[in-house]
Amino acid sequence: MEAQSVRLEDRPAGEAPGGGQVDPSPMLGTWHNTDKNTGGIVRMQLAERSGTFLVHAWAAGAPDLHDWGEAAAMAHAANAHSHEGMAFSAVYDFGFVETILAAYTKSGILVLDTFNTFKDGSGRSNYFTREFFHR
Amino acid sequence: MPPLQISRTRDRLESPHALHPVDLAPLVGTWVNFDTAATGVHHLEIGDRDGELTVHTWGSGMPDPHDWGEAVGEPFTDGVALDAAVAFRANYDFGFARVMLACYLNKRLLVVDAYTVFQDGSGRSPYFRRDHFYIP
Repeated sequence: MEAQSVRLEDRPAGEAPGGGQVDPSPMLGTWHNTDKNTGGIVRMQLAERSGTFLVHAWAAGAPDLHDWGEAAAMAHAANAHSHEGMAFSAVYDFGFVETILAAYTKSGILVLDTFNTFKDGSGRSNYFTREFFHR
Repeated sequence: MPPLQISRTRDRLESPHALHPVDLAPLVGTWVNFDTAATGVHHLEIGDRDGELTVHTWGSGMPDPHDWGEAVGEPFTDGVALDAAVAFRANYDFGFARVMLACYLNKRLLVVDAYTVFQDGSGRSPYFRRDHFYIP
């Protein structure tokens, strides 16, 4: 049976299926924001524990960083036939705001986009950020 | 009024901010992939329907592009006190796969990152794909 697709690159390449598993290990480690004065995420720790890919983020705050704790992350490969992780997504829900992390790696840099939606009626605009990290 | 909760410094509102609807105009239009041989998203029609962001996407296909239909987009600004849309998210669930489009403007280029997860047991990996679009 032909696999379903909604664009050309979804089509199976013909090799044996890999079970849809993506290895996040190329992304694991501690990533630091290239901007020392960021008002966003200062650093992230990417880890794998008991087969679960996890992100732990710390964000700018005074006097201490905001520890966001750990969230489950979904690793993505560069295409449907690769198993090498190079991107991920994750969700943090703080109640008053939900933050979606959407990140990819390229040439040793991790590029992180965040999509932030306020749920507290404070009138703050939902906002987007884009930041760069190194190990 | 109690201080607003923040998850990071950027969440802070420095002065009282009147609630304005997000200006969707920067996103609205028909966006065409720069890469005419692209195998991912082919083009998008982004609209403003009474303040709601509509996203109609076509994926590459032979002989014709795949019509993904219309989804509601969620617009984002560049900061908590700003009103102009600079980014959006939209989700598609096709049953066999779901796709999150995570998109932002860079000058007058629309960058579309597609995060795809297959749900059909076909063995295909979740994957990331980036494409760049312009308004002809």
